[in-house]
This record gives sequence, structure tokens and C-alpha cells, in this order.
Amino acid sequence: MARPRPVIAGAAALLTLLTASVSPAWAQRYRTLHVDALSMVADRTRVPVGQVFHIAIHVHVRENVSNLDELVIPDLGRMEPLGDERTVSHARGGTDVVETLTLAPVQPGTFAFLPAYLDAIDARTGRPSRFSSRAVRVTVIAARPALGASVVDAGVRPLLLRVVQWAVGMILALIALIAVLRIERARRRAVVVAAAPVVVAPPEPVRTPRDEVAAALRRYRTSPANGVLLELRAALFAAAGVPAGATLRDALAAATDPSLRAALNAAEQAAFGPAALRDVASAELIGATERWLS
Amino acid sequence: MSTPRAVLEALHATIVGQDEVCEGLVLAVVAGGHVLLEGAPGVAKTLACRALAAAVGGVFRRVQFTPDLLPSDVTGTRIFDQKTGEFATVFGPLFANVVLADEINRAPAKVQSALLEGMQERRATIGPQTYDLPAPFVVLATMNPYDAEGTYPLPSAQLDRFLAKLVVAYPAIEEERAIVDRFGAGEPPLVANVCTLDDVRRWQGAAHEVFVDAKVRDYAVAIVRASRGAELVVHGASPRAALALIALARARAYLVGRPYATPDDVRDIAPSVLRHRLSYDDRIALRSEDPEAVVRRIIAAVPAP
Repeated sequence: MARPRPVIAGAAALLTLLTASVSPAWAQRYRTLHVDALSMVADRTRVPVGQVFHIAIHVHVRENVSNLDELVIPDLGRMEPLGDERTVSHARGGTDVVETLTLAPVQPGTFAFLPAYLDAIDARTGRPSRFSSRAVRVTVIAARPALGASVVDAGVRPLLLRVVQWAVGMILALIALIAVLRIERARRRAVVVAAAPVVVAPPEPVRTPRDEVAAALRRYRTSPANGVLLELRAALFAAAGVPAGATLRDALAAATDPSLRAALNAAEQAAFGPAALRDVASAELIGATERWLS
Repeated sequence: MSTPRAVLEALHATIVGQDEVCEGLVLAVVAGGHVLLEGAPGVAKTLACRALAAAVGGVFRRVQFTPDLLPSDVTGTRIFDQKTGEFATVFGPLFANVVLADEINRAPAKVQSALLEGMQERRATIGPQTYDLPAPFVVLATMNPYDAEGTYPLPSAQLDRFLAKLVVAYPAIEEERAIVDRFGAGEPPLVANVCTLDDVRRWQGAAHEVFVDAKVRDYAVAIVRASRGAELVVHGASPRAALALIALARARAYLVGRPYATPDDVRDIAPSVLRHRLSYDDRIALRSEDPEAVVRRIIAAVPAP
């Protein structure tokens, strides 16, 4: 709770007695207020140069007021003001005025902000009074050149260093363990190879596109179903050098052999033509494919 | 007995180059659909339409779409005959076999919707009466992609009703020289009446009988469905696009004298079916991407059977 200063209050009371019968100037200048609280706090007490901090001044009066122009904020000294925001909010118990100053120190040192104050007639006593907050002290330290260095307190640094040393030691020990295990496993494998000769399977015969077409043609001859036809067509496309998903035009553009081209055309007709044409197309496909294979 | 190939040759006799455009116009006639032609001024959009109309024969009407055009200027109107004391119906240019809607996007939505009814329903309403349009009936609409000022963008419902959109590009240098030689001394006469309307109706019936294997059908459907989830595409193509793909694939097979459609038919005509049916999100402008490249990517991403 804010306390009126007796000296000032006394002087003001004397002034009141002297001028009351004529013209109470202070009565015209000052409002009568129940000042319940007047505080000033800083969100940081140690601030590096250039970093932002805030000072909040809070006043609570029991009256419902729309502004509080009487509130005097302290001199900011060598601080760069970046913002000044005042909010007035009304509640059942009166009015709260919060003034937030955003500041950035420009040089190191210790700075004492004088108390914020407001002059009003104290509604409790009916006398003019000065209500003031406490002073605020902020220590501004020199900015650290390294990024992040400012957040590491000097007391924490040796502990941090010890933790890092411990972690590096653990990693090195782990690497050494893995290396030993690998060497051991390689040594065991070498022993096994020496003990039991590996049976090498005969190499798979390399199947050329021509072999694939021949195999598909054999299957198609025995079972000329649609699925087998598509396998033969795909084998012919592969023989032409085009991937699955290509069209006949792609395959014809890649194929130069007339027999292969004829087989591709016949496969297209057999695959997509109407049923009435499929027998003819199928015979043409078998004939053209055989010619190409021979 | 004439064939669609005769119409194609008649078009090539007038138009220099533009093979895809000429083929697309003939395919649209065979498939019984409407075509939207887009290209810069002076690339023979209107001439191609006139050449097609002349070759096919029948009744040809041209409507120059302007902002002050009224629906009745397209469909027709009823006027009071003072001698008889009755209302007489005056049919508009929509009542023709080949209708050229020049610069279609310069007319307001009311006129476009009147045309829409004709394109989709193949009939037009004049006053209280609805009349069937003649058959065959083909709307060839042209559009200039550059002068956007004073235009009315075609609603997607109307765009969807165009079977295909053909892009008329600038000619190659040799073609441009040939154009100067061919048209330098005035416009040569158009090759007219290479077929009859009965021929066209017969082609349309025969094209409808072209066999489409289930694998080719599935390929067409897969392309259309791929457009819906494609990158940069907000709205993909509708099922009507799949119908258009199959119709044009059939027409193409018929044009080359093949009794069945192939995956090549579908793949070749897919750009003209998709390009006007897709709407793109804002990133396409931010990336300066060509919508045509997006369409090509969609088609290429679907493996042919």
C-alpha cells in the first residue's frame, strides 16, 4: 500500500490552511483518490547492454477513473526507451492502471530509477499527499561477444565443462568398445570360413530379352489367355527397349527390326482389338514373333 | 462415300500446319462434340472453323460475341406479325449445323447459358417453346487468352461441356513462310462440301461402334482420376472428361480406319480433354508454371496398359 509522506503532507496541509479561505489551488489541481497501491518493478535486475527489459508501474485506486494523468514516471536516465504502454482497467474494487516501459540500456553500470509517484488528495485524510513507489535498481553488464555466452552464468561454467568432459569420455569409451567387438566378430568369421568351405551355387544363366520373349511365346502357345498375352506383349516391349507403362508408339519408335515391329503391332491388336479380330491377331503375333526370334 | 479423312485433307488444303488442331476439329465432328479453340489473334482460329464448316456442308452460322449480346441474339426471338395478328418465331444463329461462337468469353453469362442449353441439350428455348436443334450440331468457339479486359470467364460448367480444347499455337518458321505464300494474294477459296450431313451422321454412328477394351477404358478413367489429386490442381476433371476421352479415342480410331481404340489414342487426345477442365491453385502463378506442363505430367504419371 502506498504511504503518503508526512513532511510533504504536512506542508500541503499548512498550505491548505493558508489558502483555504481564498482559493484552494491544489483543490482545483488534485483529485481526491483512495490510492491502495503504487508499485514499480523491473522484470530483470541484471541486463546486458542492448538487451530489452521492462519496468511495470501499477496503481490501484478505489475510484472509477478513466485516466491517471497525475502519475509521474521516473527519469529513464541513459536508457533507450523502446515503448511506453498504459492500460486502464476497471474492476469492482476500483481502477487499475498499469504502465509498462520497454527499455534498452546503452552502457554498463548500475542504475537506480527514482520512485514513480502521483499527487492527489488522500481520500482517507482529505489532505493533499504524494503517493510513491519504491525505487528500482538495475545492473547493466557489458554485452558478451559470443552468442549465448551471456546466458551461461560464471558459476555454472565449470560444472558444464565437467559434464562435457564426462560425455566426451563416455563416447570415446563406447567407440572403443564397438571397435573391439567388431574386430572380435571378424576374427570369429575368419575362423568359420576356414573351418567350413562355402558351397557356391552355380551362377544363374543370364536371360536376354529375346529369351524372355521366347519363354512368353511358349506359354502363350500352350495357353493363349489374356494374361499370358499381356506377358508376351510386355516381353516384346522390353525387347524393343521401352519400360512397362509405355504405349505402342513408344515401342515402335524404339524398335528398328521389321519383324519385331510386326510382332508389336500384332500384340496391340490381340490385346485391345475386338474378339472377332483376336484369332487373326493371335496368329499374326505368333508368326511375327517367331520370325523375329529366328 | 466420303470419309472423315477427306474433311481433314480439306482442312489441310486451307490451313498451313496446325496438324493437331485440324485433327481435333475433325475428331470433334465425328464424336459429335463441341470444341473450344484458344490462341492469339491471327493464328487462323476462325479460318479453321470456317474451313471445317465449308467442308462439312450444311448450315453454318457465325456469332461474334460482344458484351452487349443478348440471349435472343443467339437463340432467336418471337415477333408480332401485324398482318396475321400472331407471334412468329425467328430462329437465331444457334439453329445451324456448325455454329462459330467467335470470342465466346466476351459475352455475359446470360448469353453463355443460352448457348450452354444448346450445347448440352441440343435444343433451344424461344419464348414459351423449346425447339430441337438440327443434327449434326457442332459449336466451335474461339477465345483469345491475352486480352482479359472486358471478358467474362467461362464458368466451369460450360467449359466441361466442350469435348476438347485445342490450343492454336504460332506456326513454325517454314509454316509461316508458307502462310505468306498461300495467303499473300488474298484468301484462297475454301474446299467446300467434301461430304454431306448424312455422311457425318453415319460417321458418328460408326465411331460409336468402335470397340474399346476394358483395359483402355480403365486407362482413360485412371488419367481422369489422376487429375483430381494432382499437384497444383484444385479441381480435377469430371466423369464427363472420361466420357470425352473414350468418345474422342473412338473417333480417332475411326479416323485412321482401326476398329478398336488403343492406349495411344487415349494418351494423344488426353491433353485436349483435360486442359480446360482443371483449375489450378495460386502456386502455379507463383512458380510461373505452365498449366500445359501440369497436364502433361498428370498423363505421363499414369502407366499405359
